[in-house]
Amino acid sequence: MILQALQALFTPISLFAVFIGTTSGVIVGGMPGLTATMAVALLIPVTFALEPLTGLLLMGGVYCGAMYGGSIPAILLRTPGTPAAVATALEGYPMTQKGHGGLALKVSVIASFTGGMFSALVLLLVAPVLAIFALTFGPPEYFLLAILGLAGIVSMADDENRLVKAIISGLIGLIMAVVGTDPMSGMLRYTAGLTDLFDGIAFMPALIGMFSISQMLELTGTKSIITDTSTITKIKREPLPKGIHKPIVLGSLVGTIIGILPGEGATIAAFMSYNIARRRSKHPELFGKGNPEGIAAAEAGNNGCVGGSLVPTLTLGIPGNSVAAALLGGLLVHGLIPGPELFTKYGVMTYAFIMSLFIANIVFLLLGLFMAPYFARISLTPTALLIPVVCLFSVLGSYAMNNSILDIFIALLCGLAAILLQKTGFSLGALILGLILGPIAETGFAQALIMGHGSYAIFFNRPQAVALWAIILLLLVPPIYQIYKQRKTP
Amino acid sequence: MTKRFAELFILTGYLILAVLLYRSTASYPDSVQGSTALYVRFLGTALAFFCSLELFLWFKNRGQEESEKMTIATVPMRFWGLFFLLLLYSISLSYLGFYLASALFLPLAMLLLGAKKPLSICLTSAGVLLFIYLVFAKLLEVPLPEGSLF
Repeated sequence: MILQALQALFTPISLFAVFIGTTSGVIVGGMPGLTATMAVALLIPVTFALEPLTGLLLMGGVYCGAMYGGSIPAILLRTPGTPAAVATALEGYPMTQKGHGGLALKVSVIASFTGGMFSALVLLLVAPVLAIFALTFGPPEYFLLAILGLAGIVSMADDENRLVKAIISGLIGLIMAVVGTDPMSGMLRYTAGLTDLFDGIAFMPALIGMFSISQMLELTGTKSIITDTSTITKIKREPLPKGIHKPIVLGSLVGTIIGILPGEGATIAAFMSYNIARRRSKHPELFGKGNPEGIAAAEAGNNGCVGGSLVPTLTLGIPGNSVAAALLGGLLVHGLIPGPELFTKYGVMTYAFIMSLFIANIVFLLLGLFMAPYFARISLTPTALLIPVVCLFSVLGSYAMNNSILDIFIALLCGLAAILLQKTGFSLGALILGLILGPIAETGFAQALIMGHGSYAIFFNRPQAVALWAIILLLLVPPIYQIYKQRKTP
Repeated sequence: MTKRFAELFILTGYLILAVLLYRSTASYPDSVQGSTALYVRFLGTALAFFCSLELFLWFKNRGQEESEKMTIATVPMRFWGLFFLLLLYSISLSYLGFYLASALFLPLAMLLLGAKKPLSICLTSAGVLLFIYLVFAKLLEVPLPEGSLF
């Protein structure tokens, strides 16, 4: 069956579909406001006219390409093309400011490639087994997964004062996520009667505001993004930083595991990989100042999510995230029902699709390596021309998600608030983590308490929950001990 | 405004938010008092606790640290100019529509930020709008803001 799948894949039309899909994905991912979900959903009607396999290859290529493409504006302009690229922006943009944007892009594409290849391999080899494992996770485990993600806040702080401010920032993020419809009763909360807030504060406008608009406002006092322009053209000669393989491996593993869990998206995967890499790094103090290890972990994490999210999608029909949900729609319109039959009756097509992900990863690797020096030159554009254009795309990106003018005002407000919070030592990373994980934490907490008839024992009496508590403690103890030690040192 | 005063201002605001958040859960339906209302109460309590702790640290270290002046913008004219231009642009989108509002915003913002060459201002503005028209509007059919006046 694998041989037949390879034969089906290595036809000119199939390879062309993968190439076009991946290239379009990189472009879509690179533009704020255009998401992989939107691109895959838009492709579904197009695939009606195509062979089912060609349509699937196109959609798979878009998914892989978009996940990488989001990192390009995140690194060069601190404007994440996709929410999953926020963690990349934290390290990538400072590198660009130092004139190492090209190297950051190189690290990003190599990490994305490795994460993508690893997760595709996992998908190919052990998809059905992993899907059954993912199904054993219930609300208590999802709540603990959110706590696991929030534990990263502690590692974002380097002293006692910063720790308290980081926790406050995380709590503000969690509170922002409460706005909208109550997940249990359907009651509207804190919406001020605005229909645009019924689904909550949209994530993308808040992100665009905090990272992109705030940065553009900050740049109004400078003539160029980078101070040292001499290094920008040296990308081809710049070797990869030493020790970069460790965060890449770590990110690939974390991304794939997170991707397998339904509902956990690439953004969470990227942040978790980033935080674990920061915790394990020999130079955690360099994080936030342009550490390529952070880019490597985050990018391997979000691309690792691609294959991971397809595990429950293909085997159980449960999409791992919103892009996988759109892809699932694409499968269903072609009469491909997820489940065991997909790997037996339609095995040739399914395996050809899975193997096409490897090719898609190779396509964006070549594209990224070849184009990185040209992309990097964007940072040389004078700010007088660049800022208005980026602001326009930020406004468009904020609007396009829900066609809401209110979202643009949210982005502007978040932009101004981000500057004030940053200047006073509050952590934007922690705030974003709270905003991302808030809905998962609230729903998991509420559902678990209902399941356990109000007893908190439900968070401790299942083996998966105990394992998650152990990981949370492992992540929390070292940074807290370090802060305590710093406090004792005169 | 000094940095320390700004911190105090923000923390006080957060404390008020925490109290309001806690009190708001009383209006939640009875069915969720033990689930989502409990979660929101926990958030309110935690925020109040950590803000109080930070305020305690703030007062404790007040004498030790020298308070520095907080500079929000290095060039205030451009910073606030761009912000208000963005605000005006966002408001005008509902009236003028995307293309007209953007055609005004782009050159004005470029001039404000110090661009001097009329040719590069015109070419960049026109190029960006043409790109958005072709890729966003025509190819991907992304809905753009429409004006009520034009």
